[in-house]
Amino acid sequence: MERDLLRQSVSYHGENLLSLLKCEQNENPDFKNVAADLAKTLNQRDKEDTSPVLEQYIARKADLLFAPSWKSPTPVDEWQEESGEAYAIMPPLEQFMEVSFEERREFFYRDVERGDMLIGRINSVRDFGLFVTLLCTAGGLERDIEDLEIKALCPIRNVPSTGNHDDPLSYYQIGDLIRAGVKDIDRYHEKLTLSLYSSSLATHLNKVKLGVISKEELPLHYTRGEMVATDCNETYEKLLEDSLGLSNPLNVDYLMAKLGISGTQTPSLMRGLQSKRFKEEDFGTAIRKKQSVSWALKCVKTGVDHFKSGRHVEAMNEYNKALEIDTNNVEALVARGALYATKGSLMKAIGDFELALESCPTHRNAKKYLCQTLVERGGQLEEEEKLVTAEGLYKRAVVLDDTFREAAEALEKLQIRIQKSLKLKEQEAAKEQEKSKTVETSAEKLRKILKEEKRIKKKKRKRSTSSSTSSDTSSTTDDDSPSTSRKKSKKRKHKRRRSSHGSKKHKRRVSSCSDKTLEDDWFPAPPNTSASYINQKQSITKLLGEGEQSWGKSRSEDGRGRFEDGTDRSPENVKDGSRLGGPDANGEGASGRARNRRDSSSSTQSEYSHKSDRFSKECSSQGRNRCVSERSRDEKMERAERYSRDQDDGRSSVGSLKKDLPSNLVDIFSQIAEFKKDKKQK
Amino acid sequence: MSTQASTTVAANEARGRRSAEDVENSKTHFRVCRFIIETGVKLGMRSVPMATACVLYHRFFQSASLLVYEPYLVAMSAIYLAGKVEEQHLRTRDIINVCHRYFHPDSEALELDGKFWELRDSIVQCELLILRQLNFQVSFEHPHRYLLHYLLSVRSLMNRHAWSRTPIAETALAVLKDSYHGSVCVRHKPQHLALTSLYLALQTYGVELPRGEREWWQVVCAEITKAQIETIMSELLQLYDMEAKCT
Repeated sequence: MERDLLRQSVSYHGENLLSLLKCEQNENPDFKNVAADLAKTLNQRDKEDTSPVLEQYIARKADLLFAPSWKSPTPVDEWQEESGEAYAIMPPLEQFMEVSFEERREFFYRDVERGDMLIGRINSVRDFGLFVTLLCTAGGLERDIEDLEIKALCPIRNVPSTGNHDDPLSYYQIGDLIRAGVKDIDRYHEKLTLSLYSSSLATHLNKVKLGVISKEELPLHYTRGEMVATDCNETYEKLLEDSLGLSNPLNVDYLMAKLGISGTQTPSLMRGLQSKRFKEEDFGTAIRKKQSVSWALKCVKTGVDHFKSGRHVEAMNEYNKALEIDTNNVEALVARGALYATKGSLMKAIGDFELALESCPTHRNAKKYLCQTLVERGGQLEEEEKLVTAEGLYKRAVVLDDTFREAAEALEKLQIRIQKSLKLKEQEAAKEQEKSKTVETSAEKLRKILKEEKRIKKKKRKRSTSSSTSSDTSSTTDDDSPSTSRKKSKKRKHKRRRSSHGSKKHKRRVSSCSDKTLEDDWFPAPPNTSASYINQKQSITKLLGEGEQSWGKSRSEDGRGRFEDGTDRSPENVKDGSRLGGPDANGEGASGRARNRRDSSSSTQSEYSHKSDRFSKECSSQGRNRCVSERSRDEKMERAERYSRDQDDGRSSVGSLKKDLPSNLVDIFSQIAEFKKDKKQK
Repeated sequence: MSTQASTTVAANEARGRRSAEDVENSKTHFRVCRFIIETGVKLGMRSVPMATACVLYHRFFQSASLLVYEPYLVAMSAIYLAGKVEEQHLRTRDIINVCHRYFHPDSEALELDGKFWELRDSIVQCELLILRQLNFQVSFEHPHRYLLHYLLSVRSLMNRHAWSRTPIAETALAVLKDSYHGSVCVRHKPQHLALTSLYLALQTYGVELPRGEREWWQVVCAEITKAQIETIMSELLQLYDMEAKCT
């Protein structure tokens, strides 16, 4: 019990109250502690009007009235200048009551504190500071002090400088209105010291600007007070009724919050209405929630009946109704998820199950159905080759329910598949790196080759042997030239196209391997790449020959392709063939390669085909040894036989194809022939 | 003579009966208003809509008879109507749920069946009845906003520390809320009620305010007299006595 409050009350009401208190509150242990003190503080005060009823009430309710928890804590918010629209701002009551001069002065000096805000008018500027006559209070304290003519000093050290080196006091003039904070009070001598620094203000007044203000910035309670002073008809009541703030429908809530009292939990002195008597589950919201759940459950039950009899539409309606009654109802979500899964909308089903598990993580059916749906969805994704997403789903299914065998098995299978593909990727990447190395070094090699050729040409003029060149033509292979050769790229394109036949990666691997075997059949290719450029013009013809041959190959392949793959491959291949013939032999190496890459990616083949194509390129450019070690032989041998047969066919058809070459290529041949003649002439 | 005697006796008896009846009625009204306030708390009603509900109830039974109308039904409809009038709309479902639980503690939530719809229908019908009984004048001025403004004015008179340790606002609002148990809320002006509850709160704690030419309560309400304040105060305090008798 609040001792001071009790003491105050008892001393106000007198002995009667004390005796009544003792009578009513004798069971209250808190009171007993205080009772002893109270007897001492009693002084003989003759109250004019004793009201026993009041005293009786105080005595009865003392345990509530004087309880420490009765007082709600005052909210400490940032102070804001009120605009008079949230509630009615009234002039100080002192003014209406016409409290006497001395009393007002006394109360002012009693109640003003450090950190308060005051507004006054400058009446003199000295070299040690400003003298201010106070006009009104501001920032929470509301008193009528204008006619008290209290003077306060604002010494120069409390005046902030204006930036330049002038005397800060020169900024202020007599008659200015300034707003200042109270720095110090001497209550005995009734002296006030002001400051214009914001630091002198209390924390909740921090944001207010100190210094010179205009008339508009004077607080509302002062301006209204002035109005009342001039007009003697203006009473408190009238002013209040006329004020806009009184009509604000929300002023009750606003003011209650300002005073620190909750709007919905207002206190009461009735015993039956004390807040601790009310149980949580009796409140409206709690009952509604439980009711919603039970109503939703009924809908779900009828929905499940519909579902079992096959009436899916009605079942969905019931489930949706249940979810309207009670959003995120666990049973309804699980049932709806099962319905979605049965109809095939797996993503929606997964969404519903996840939502259900959020609110109830231990729901057995939700877990079970979610596992099954995840595995099913994972299977779908696997077929679409979205392996990583599928893996994620399987993992989640396994995490959810580790007794679900199918999920674990599917996960294992998928992981193996992913590992294989990763290995392949790594190999491809390694090959790429090496290939790029060879790319760099082969540029140097080409330079060497060209120098050598010039030398050799000079030698040849002396020697003039043609037989070696022809043998070179046959012996030199196309495959092992470095990738910088532009013509090589065409051949590579052919090779890849060849290898791209067959939708399975195995086929492709086989085909690229078979390329290798082809080369085995055709050329005993020396590993030294520079050898192929001994005679440049010869290499050109040889390449073109190869180009024809491989084109021929591709044509035959096309035939095969039509049987094996869809029509999508062959038109593309035909396109490629025409593109090969189209551009001149000289220019298009790099772009050709780019086109190759584009072709491969544009096809509906998976990454595997691309990899294996590059793989085949590597194979062809590098030694065959590496290729061999990485391929399985059985399938390839069988395929190789078939391919070699085709190659033979292709070779035979080369001659006939020569006739069918497009005009561009014929031009090139003629140019080369001219070049040869020139050289021979030289 | 005998007839005169009999009439006086009859009159006396009637008066006595009426007073007994009145007492009984006022107890019923007290219990029903307690029911209204309790339901309001459980539904999260703000102070003003709750006050409107009680006033609607009291005004209804000023002209209607308790023998004809079921008071608890009128109370439920009054809550529903007050929510609409004071812009804190309440659902009939929530009102029925809370009231059902009030009468049948710890019971299961009601099922959405025929009985539920019948209850809802009866609330809606009664609402129309209340409107007609009160001639559709259902907008009232309440003491709350006056009380809050008076509190602010009185606060400016007091020392801030004295104010912060004395629960004047809480006590005044509590007294005002409890005043709705009886018909005192409809028999006086809202400004007077506000003033009296503040006066009572100040008296409880023995707070002494500065005195000028006029007392603070004379300033706030020009035409009120001390006697009037005392009368209202005693009526308010009677309600606390009644609690002991009724519950």
